[in-house]
Amino acid sequence: MLKKPLLFAALVLLSPVHASAIEGEKTVFQSPGAEKSRLVINGVTDADAIKPLILDFQQLAPDVTVEFNDYVSNDLFREAERACSTGQNYGDLLISSSADQLVKLANDGCAIPHSSAETDALASWANWRNEVFGFVFEPAVIVYDASRVPQADVPRSHADIADLLRRKPEDYRNRIGTYNIQLSGVGYLLAFHDALQAPTIYGRLLESFSRAEVVTGCCNNEVLDQIASGRLRIAYNILGSYAYAAFLKNPNLRVVIPRDYALILPRAALIPVKSQQTDLARRFIDYLLSSRGKTVAREKAFFLSEDDPLPEGVEGPASLIESGIGRPIRIGPALLAAQDRATRERFIRNWTALFTALDP
Amino acid sequence: MRILLVEDTHDVGEAISRRFETTGHTVDWQTDGRAASEILDFTDYDLVILDVMLPGLDGFEILKRLRQNRNAVPVMVLTARSEIDDRVSALDLGADDYLVKPFDFRELEARARVLLRRRSGGEATNVIACGDVMLDRTNRSVHVGKREVQLKRREMTLLEILASRPGRVFSKDQLLDQIFGFDEPAGPNAIELYVGRLRKKLEGAKARIVTVRGLGYQLVSDDQD
Amino acid sequence: MALVINWCLMTKTRRSLFYRLVVRVALVLFVGAAVLITAAWFYAKAAADEAYDRLLQGAAIQILDGLSVEDGRIGINLPPAAFELLGQAPRDRIFYRVVLPDGLTLTGYDDLAPSVDLTPARSGPVFFSEDYRNVPLRIGIVGRAISEAAAGGWAYVLVGQTTEARKEFVTELTTRALVIVLIMSALALAGTALAIRYSLRPVNQLGDMLLRRDPQDLTPLSVAVPGELSPFVDSINHFMRRLDERVRLLQRFIADSAHQIRTPLTALSAQVSLIHEDALSDNDRRHLERVKDRAGELAHFTGQLLNHAMVIHRFDSAQLGPLDVTEIARKAFRAAVPITIDPDTVVSFEGPDETLIVLGDGLSLREAIVNIIDNSLRHGTRFKLDVRVLKRGNFALVEVEDDGPGIPPADWGQVTKRFVSSKSGSGSSGLGFAIASEVAIALRGGLSFREKTPEKGFTVVLELPLHAEMTS
Repeated sequence: MLKKPLLFAALVLLSPVHASAIEGEKTVFQSPGAEKSRLVINGVTDADAIKPLILDFQQLAPDVTVEFNDYVSNDLFREAERACSTGQNYGDLLISSSADQLVKLANDGCAIPHSSAETDALASWANWRNEVFGFVFEPAVIVYDASRVPQADVPRSHADIADLLRRKPEDYRNRIGTYNIQLSGVGYLLAFHDALQAPTIYGRLLESFSRAEVVTGCCNNEVLDQIASGRLRIAYNILGSYAYAAFLKNPNLRVVIPRDYALILPRAALIPVKSQQTDLARRFIDYLLSSRGKTVAREKAFFLSEDDPLPEGVEGPASLIESGIGRPIRIGPALLAAQDRATRERFIRNWTALFTALDP
Repeated sequence: MRILLVEDTHDVGEAISRRFETTGHTVDWQTDGRAASEILDFTDYDLVILDVMLPGLDGFEILKRLRQNRNAVPVMVLTARSEIDDRVSALDLGADDYLVKPFDFRELEARARVLLRRRSGGEATNVIACGDVMLDRTNRSVHVGKREVQLKRREMTLLEILASRPGRVFSKDQLLDQIFGFDEPAGPNAIELYVGRLRKKLEGAKARIVTVRGLGYQLVSDDQD
Repeated sequence: MALVINWCLMTKTRRSLFYRLVVRVALVLFVGAAVLITAAWFYAKAAADEAYDRLLQGAAIQILDGLSVEDGRIGINLPPAAFELLGQAPRDRIFYRVVLPDGLTLTGYDDLAPSVDLTPARSGPVFFSEDYRNVPLRIGIVGRAISEAAAGGWAYVLVGQTTEARKEFVTELTTRALVIVLIMSALALAGTALAIRYSLRPVNQLGDMLLRRDPQDLTPLSVAVPGELSPFVDSINHFMRRLDERVRLLQRFIADSAHQIRTPLTALSAQVSLIHEDALSDNDRRHLERVKDRAGELAHFTGQLLNHAMVIHRFDSAQLGPLDVTEIARKAFRAAVPITIDPDTVVSFEGPDETLIVLGDGLSLREAIVNIIDNSLRHGTRFKLDVRVLKRGNFALVEVEDDGPGIPPADWGQVTKRFVSSKSGSGSSGLGFAIASEVAIALRGGLSFREKTPEKGFTVVLELPLHAEMTS
């Protein structure tokens, strides 16, 4: 039981470079051998989360130095769009959990196609045009502080959250957190799909969030930090990997996969059209999609996947997809609707209108 | 001998007449068929030489008439072979011999002589045998076993003499007398010559001519040895 | 040289009928196939356009459904279902533009088909193709009348898609059609080739039959041929009939000419025979000898011409009947051996024990044997001539053997041809063997030779098949 956190800690301590997980920051993973080339990855993910994968990849390619730049999803998207329209280089590989943004980039002709045995093996909803690839699928989960939330209150479904907030508004006023969907691409994507999946419940949820004066943050870690610090008690629509990592650090936290439905969010990769290391980018993608990569991802990086059994400490159905609870967000043109500017503006406007509180 | 020649081509007729007259025969030469036929009705001849294509009556008609009148005079036909369908053979109509034009005149003479001799000689047609040698006077040949060998006239006569008495020795003079007539001169080795020829022609026979030194010749059959 | 050219021409014409037909049919099939495939391509393209245009239309309609008016302003909630619909073409990129009644773009790709006239879309969906961002797009426009008071008018949605799915569709359909058309064409071609070959068989058969014919055979062809060939057969028969007539006329002319020559020739011989040799000088005597020789040759040759004519004629008209070979041979022997032959020559005749019956014509058989004997006497015999008739197997053989040098085997093939020297260098040509050979062949037998050996002399063999009744 303690092995995993120890392992995690060891990895963190033993990493040869100073890895500080600040979003938007550069982290360089020096090549284990003599450096022959450098792969620049711009991504929307924790460097810590992706580190095990990069290190393992460098076992296979010891002459490659990997530079990883951590961004907020909207920033990444904006930069990528600008670079694409002006014909400039912006990284060799893009990784983001805002799959809709990558699909929009691909639709606008900003991606280089790549096909290989690994990409051919992907399901059709994890691969669009051989330009956008989904390589990790994690559920959007509910995180709560077990020391502050009584068992009876533990929400196990979306409806439960709405009910809880209606029943005990005082207990949880300003104590529940989620994304500011204007700032967070992932948050927007999840909210958009919540509205699609269960429009009625979504409406009720929003309404109850509004009344409970929900706290919004820009990103996963910000919200999770606030739970860890005791400020928040419940966090909604957190990415499973972050949630689990937090759980490992703080045993008080618990991770719940909603029972009524759980959105499964892919992390996607794309090779931008002005990439300068297309071969390396292709190799990295193939690595991510390989069984070795998937194993490392499950055991060390993202912990949760769409069809493997849940690790200990996570509450939820045995198999997400098979049980019918998991609802994968498909990588495909349907995501373009989410990126339509008028639609997006209206969605955010409606959402914002219900909240008076913004990022504290 | 008296010969009737019926021939309308002048050159040919002249040649034939002259030839036979030189050898001492009398030749009556007719150029017209009808005239010739009438002459035959009341004149006897030893030989008729008959051309087929004639003015007046054609040769075959004359022949037919001749035989109808039971006139057995020997007839030699000079046939034209111009009839494309030769259904009628000269011999069938009663001719004794025929020659095809153009012919060798010596051949004509020789065959005429045969016919004339037949007329005068009245040769018996019996066949004499000795061993496996059989004489055939009609065809003037000798059968040696199955083989039939042609003989000349004198060879035939010689063989006849020797075969008439097999085993008997005939002297040269005797043979000379019988084979050659008064008016036919014979050289000193004539008999040797003829015996030699005869021997050649009797090769393979079961009878042979034996020379008896100083005495003459004999015909001996192999069984008799 | 002429032979080579002739052969080339012959081969060329022989090849072309079948190949020409097949090539023409192949050409027609090829053109037909090309037309069909092009038609298939057009059809597939039209089908693809129609099918995928419907998708565009459906998506556009769904997008229009997402329009709503709030506070006098038109807003949109794009239904993801519209794009899912377009996602039926899984690889194609999607571009769209929503246009408000005032002409401004509400949302989408602002630069999508900016100059197109939208008003025709009021009466129904409009589809067209245009390039956008360097890729060919297929764009559909659907319009809807917004009847809200404040913001009324026509709103339009342009939905465009790249054409990869369409192209794949067209390619797949066309490829399938191509395969089917090719298979059908191949089958048709094969079937036609077989049919043509089969139909041309009568032509080949006719050709074979003509080839196999005896060159002397001028009897009319009796063969069943299809209607198209009967003019050929008729004209061949007509031609052969005319040729036959000419040949007959020619033969008759030869016979008549020989016959006409006969009389003056006899007269010539007669006159020559009257010349008194004694009265001549030595020179003149020599010349006379030569004249006699030449006259003799002339006479011999004329006789042979007549013989030949007669023999040929007999085979045209005479019926074949059973003959006793031995008797005929004997008659020939007696007729052919002149009385004036050299007395030192031994001539003999030997017949078989049994009677040998063949089917033939007596006169021509006799002439044939006479010719053989005559030839031996003239050119072969020194002191011996043997004539034999015997039975060997199912054949009757008439052998004429002489003790002369014989004919060298190299010449055997030539000797039976007309007018070839039967004795090399002797200067005498003749028809003798030709006649004998023709008679033998006409009676279904043959003429052959046997080389001289130390035991036996050179032999000419006339072979005739025994009459069937005998052999059974």
